Amino acid sequence: MTFHVASVGMGRFGKRPEGLIALATEAANLALEGIGRKPVDLLVVGSMFAHGPHGREALLPRLVGSLGLETSSGFRVDSSSGTGAMAFHTAVLALETGRFERALVIAAEKMTDRSTAETTKDLSAALHMSEVAAGATMPGLAAIVTARYLQEYGLSTDICDVTAVHARSMAARNPNAHFQKPVTMEEVASSRPVALPLRLLHCSAISDGATAVVVEKGTGPATVLGMGQGFDALRLVDREELTTFAATRIAARVAYEAARITRKEVNVAEVHDAFSPFLLMHLEDLGFCGPGEAPKWFAQGWVGLDGRLPVNPSGGVVGRGHPVAASGLAAIGEVALQLRGEAGQHSIATRPKVGLAHAVSGIGSHNFVTILGGPAA
Amino acid sequence: MTTAATIDLTRCTSCHARFLPNEGACPRCGSSDCSAYSASAVGTVLAATELQYPASGWHAPHRLALVEVADAVRVLVIVESALPLPGDLVEVRRDGDVYRARPEPTE
Repeated sequence: MTFHVASVGMGRFGKRPEGLIALATEAANLALEGIGRKPVDLLVVGSMFAHGPHGREALLPRLVGSLGLETSSGFRVDSSSGTGAMAFHTAVLALETGRFERALVIAAEKMTDRSTAETTKDLSAALHMSEVAAGATMPGLAAIVTARYLQEYGLSTDICDVTAVHARSMAARNPNAHFQKPVTMEEVASSRPVALPLRLLHCSAISDGATAVVVEKGTGPATVLGMGQGFDALRLVDREELTTFAATRIAARVAYEAARITRKEVNVAEVHDAFSPFLLMHLEDLGFCGPGEAPKWFAQGWVGLDGRLPVNPSGGVVGRGHPVAASGLAAIGEVALQLRGEAGQHSIATRPKVGLAHAVSGIGSHNFVTILGGPAA
Repeated sequence: MTTAATIDLTRCTSCHARFLPNEGACPRCGSSDCSAYSASAVGTVLAATELQYPASGWHAPHRLALVEVADAVRVLVIVESALPLPGDLVEVRRDGDVYRARPEPTE
């Protein structure tokens, strides 16, 4: 049995006046229109912050109502910033039982109606309590990992700025991205410190947004070729290595094996860069280059739209914006758009045959890799 | 002559993993059969940062370092001095739920 992404619905990411249900409904309607409103019999929804006094509870019945679905089954999943990918994997695994024909997958987050302090606290739920007790936050731990990487390979902070410039230059072509303007090396290097070496423009933004995709039986340019997940210790102190993410390496190995391809066959990648320098480590962990080699890929321009491996044509998490639950599905949706030739201004130079989408939960404790492409000959 | 400062580390009786902090179960194998042992409190800084927006309850700037003590055990510590550099030696001590570090005293 094979399944493919038949339609992608992307709402605009950023500060939006609408609430969670409206954002999710907008993206879902776009995806449903893409298939001519054919019936879906499975609904999978991902949201991390669908709680609190904002009418966000009972997410599934609300969405079934707002979308007028006649869905027989539904699930809600949550894996912090990996939620969107988890929702997609859940839908594919459920379809593989043979009990469903077509799934609507929605991942949505409403974040800008809360204070930065509240959101920082909410996001810390993806970290270990002992780290938060010591005052650590997601950017704080990401700074420690980044500092180790720079030290390990004798790099200056310039490379962090290069990754942020890359993210924003890609996002500037994507009309749905939170950030529509490119930034310069100087602007990144002079943005305010968050936790050095990380500065504001290295860090993903608090955004509202939703993505939806329809997955159905059959094949197409965005057929699901392979999926993989990987875990790592939740506490940073328990990880054997700090400059590489075991959860990404494991997820990639499983996905490549399932797809029966090697990384050399991947033509486009959407890589989870909640902090722009993490792009370097994840590119290495996905097998595209060896340890410490990713900076060279940026220096040589190999990650550009016409490079040997275009990376994050959507802008990635830093450029596209980070409605946490939606990001993982937005990465899968972007790869599907590229494969289907529907990416418009942010299309890579040559229409790809195989694409890889990556998502990260927390500080890399549970990561996902999804490989889509035309069916094997 | 002062006695060198020590710190309690944790050893898992089942899989022999060594770790901090001890929260009742081995982070590698899940065994609750873990015991404390004493080791030098001096550790080496692997990386450090200064948070401008620390977790609630703390004030900026809040300095954190990842420190490696004996037996390759790593601990996230609150730094009470200027931000240390990788390779600097610090003395780690437990303070309730957290660990703190200051530069290793020099004679």
